[in-house]
Amino acid sequence: MNSAADLRLYLELLERFADGQMTPDEQEQFEERLEQDDELRQAHAAYEQLTADLRWVAGHETLRLRLELLDRRLDQRETAISRMQHQQRHTQNRWVAIVVGVLVLAMAFWIFTRRPAPVPEVTWEQYYQPDPGLSPAETDANLRPLLAESMSQYREGQYAAALRSLRRVPTNNIGQDTLLYYTGLFLLRDGDAAGARTFLRRVSQQPKVPLARKALYHLGMAHWQANQLSEASAVLKQVAADANNPYQQAARKVLQADVLKP
Amino acid sequence: MAQPLAEVLTRLRVGNQNFIINFYQQHREHFTHWADLNHQLPAAEAHELLRAVLLEFYDQVADGRLTKLPEDLRAHLYSMAYERIAAGKSAAVLPLAEAGRRQRLLVLFGYLGADCQKVLMYFYFRGYNFEKVAGKMGYANATVARLQKSSCLRTLYELVGRGPAPQASAAAPTDL
Repeated sequence: MNSAADLRLYLELLERFADGQMTPDEQEQFEERLEQDDELRQAHAAYEQLTADLRWVAGHETLRLRLELLDRRLDQRETAISRMQHQQRHTQNRWVAIVVGVLVLAMAFWIFTRRPAPVPEVTWEQYYQPDPGLSPAETDANLRPLLAESMSQYREGQYAAALRSLRRVPTNNIGQDTLLYYTGLFLLRDGDAAGARTFLRRVSQQPKVPLARKALYHLGMAHWQANQLSEASAVLKQVAADANNPYQQAARKVLQADVLKP
Repeated sequence: MAQPLAEVLTRLRVGNQNFIINFYQQHREHFTHWADLNHQLPAAEAHELLRAVLLEFYDQVADGRLTKLPEDLRAHLYSMAYERIAAGKSAAVLPLAEAGRRQRLLVLFGYLGADCQKVLMYFYFRGYNFEKVAGKMGYANATVARLQKSSCLRTLYELVGRGPAPQASAAAPTDL
């Protein structure tokens, strides 16, 4: 670079020329002087070099500042994104905690409030071994049609009808004990435990009557039907202890199941 | 790169710096990972290094030292970064002992006040006329802008005339 003193002398003039600030006449005079004045020519060359270098420097600095500005903007964006992600994670975690809390509370509520599964109620009918009734051969429909009809209705489960038919059977067609026994039996099956007990007790209390043993079993079941569990248990124990009773096994089964506890 | 390489060089030479700006925006994160992985460089230093490399690349193009754009520009720039790391160069300091005339002027330019720097950048790099410079700088009119530019240029020239500039890192710029 030429000496500073040389250029300083011409700097204003050179700037006016370079920046287009001269009138056309001034410009023409300057160009003529430039051809004749060595010092001015050298100063002009130095000025051109300085401004060319300055353009390079200005470009460099412009780029540096733009990059720094962009860098700050990217940093700010990254910070904002990071903060947003942090907030999202925080919100997400909070929701997860709330959902888990609600689930835990719901589960605890369910555990503490649920009712134990109902134990299936044991009914007398589950253990009851029904009497098959008199067979058609035994009833002999030609001779005792009402008795045959009654037994048929009993087997079909029409207990009330069977009972009505039985009551119409002439007394000379059927023995008293048999009538009492089946009356008690039909009442039992029809759900009238109290009535059934009366008839079945009368039969069971006559040791010489063949149906007494069978009547005792049905009496026990009639007690059970009426929810008289201790009475039922006592009667069935008698049945279970009697080897000649056809319902011994059925009675034992009830007692072994231990279902007659109050 | 979307732009043809030859076009990139031409644009850079006429002062369109958008290619460099876009490169920095798109590759800053990748470069940071690379610098951390290979050289354990903290993020802020990696960003500064990439900016210095891009400035150096731009200077090479503007100077005419680089006449052909490398096929793999990213590899080329990362290689420049590696060389800087290996040489232990600071991105902020220009080595004045090896500095040319322009690099010396660059250091001296840093000693001008911020307004002077802006006026000269607007006029000599962006090519704004005095009216636009006045608008950008908040001056009353174009004449004020012209006088301001003239004053700044004179100041810079006087700095040049004072002889070798001090190291950029040794003294803080005075608001000239």
